Amino acid sequence: MSNAVEIRDLEYRAGKSFEIRELALNVPSGSMYGFLGPNGAGKTTTIRLMLGLLRPRAGRITVLGGEIPREAPRVLARTGYVPEQPHLYQTLTVDEALRFHAAFYRTWDWKWADELLGAFGLDRTRLLARLSKGEMGKLEMLLALAQRPELLVLDEPTDGLDPVVRRDVLTALLEYVSQQNATVFISSHLVHELERICDWVGVMDRGRLVAELPMHSFKSGIKRLRVANAPALPGDTPFVVLSREVSAADAETWIVRGWQPPMRQYFEGVGANLRDIIDLDLEEGFVELLRTFRVPQS
Amino acid sequence: MFRQILFTQWKWARLPVLAFVLAGFALPLLSAQAFSESYSRFWFAPLFLGQLQSLGAFYPLLAALIGLIMALTAWAADHRGRHVYALSLPIPRWHYTLLRFGAGAVLILLPTLALWLSALIATSLTKLPMGLHAYPTTLAVRFALATLIAFGALFAVSAGTSRAAGIVLGLLAAVVLAQLLFDLFEIKIQIIDAVLYRIYIWPGPLEIFTGHWMLFDV
Repeated sequence: MSNAVEIRDLEYRAGKSFEIRELALNVPSGSMYGFLGPNGAGKTTTIRLMLGLLRPRAGRITVLGGEIPREAPRVLARTGYVPEQPHLYQTLTVDEALRFHAAFYRTWDWKWADELLGAFGLDRTRLLARLSKGEMGKLEMLLALAQRPELLVLDEPTDGLDPVVRRDVLTALLEYVSQQNATVFISSHLVHELERICDWVGVMDRGRLVAELPMHSFKSGIKRLRVANAPALPGDTPFVVLSREVSAADAETWIVRGWQPPMRQYFEGVGANLRDIIDLDLEEGFVELLRTFRVPQS
Repeated sequence: MFRQILFTQWKWARLPVLAFVLAGFALPLLSAQAFSESYSRFWFAPLFLGQLQSLGAFYPLLAALIGLIMALTAWAADHRGRHVYALSLPIPRWHYTLLRFGAGAVLILLPTLALWLSALIATSLTKLPMGLHAYPTTLAVRFALATLIAFGALFAVSAGTSRAAGIVLGLLAAVVLAQLLFDLFEIKIQIIDAVLYRIYIWPGPLEIFTGHWMLFDV
């Protein structure tokens, strides 16, 4: 499988307090890639670097086969982008904003834009400055979709939207992806939302990529174990121990990554008793992953 | 593409443009009126031409003001959006800048055309004494060039980041401060004069703003 986005050894610094270090990232073509991370992790900066809006200090970025920033215009012609903050000209009406945007994209599909306009219930004559947050979110998504992109880069596209608008926006997105087999790179801190729609996940924290793996591996590989008579030192485990804490007099709770059922034998080997194996949902796994990542650094 | 850029710029700047069109149209008519009044009061040409020169100062001022406002409005919306929209459009940065500059240049043609038209009307309605001539087209061309130079210079400054603007302002402040120190210690170096000389005297870029701006002259 080829990659729609490839980032290697990316370095970027903004001021003294924030930097991206040795970032490597692969977004498989045709995937829905969820880009997770807490606020300030560097998600938006990574997206801006990916689209050539910012210039990196070092590293290589390839998007849709084009090198960024050198081939950014060619890549951007095939990429739909919904930024974190509304970025359109507020003094235009919806209709004027559509015409302005359409003028820059050869692949612009007016028929579909009109359909989406109706489906989203947007008034053509309304000034952008007078749109609600939800309406603006819909318009941003409409503009990104109606240019028929091969890659959609969505930076917190549903952040702050009410559930109805969020459903409308995600429905339009999923409909497009099912038709076009486009690649979607969606950044969010709404973990449950990504859990439902994404098949790949990348987790970023403090300017570094913490994990990148298929969603099913992420969800199934992280477990909470209840262990009785746990050894003081876990030794050479076949899984990664993310955290362990005492939960009762003789029992501990372990959070582990890379768990497989045959690994039960490890506990028998060290004289411990594995009482319970609990699946963690994506959010819990995400929190545990970040907690572990931060421990050695703090 | 250009049409859309032009449309947005027109939408942002239409009120100032209309005001500039009115001002551009009014100036030559006022010059002609002042000429007629002065001519009836002073029989000696240098005297009433001197009176007209004071009105002539409004032409470069208007040109500079048009350049300033058009340059600011060209970038204001992009500055507000931190240039994210402009940078995410699928055209190179130089191309986008050129489109914005071109749209601004088209819009500043409107007051220039108004000024030219008004100058032609004013000169056709004014009876000139022997030895004096009207220069409506020369004045309009000079006005167009001055407006374009002001717009170009301020467009470049306005396109920059606030850091770049800070550097420019810092340099200006440094020059003024240095001059104050030289004066304080009675060192006979005139930096400001030297800088102004380089800017306003040929081949300085702002030379076009100096001298007499006359619709009627010998």
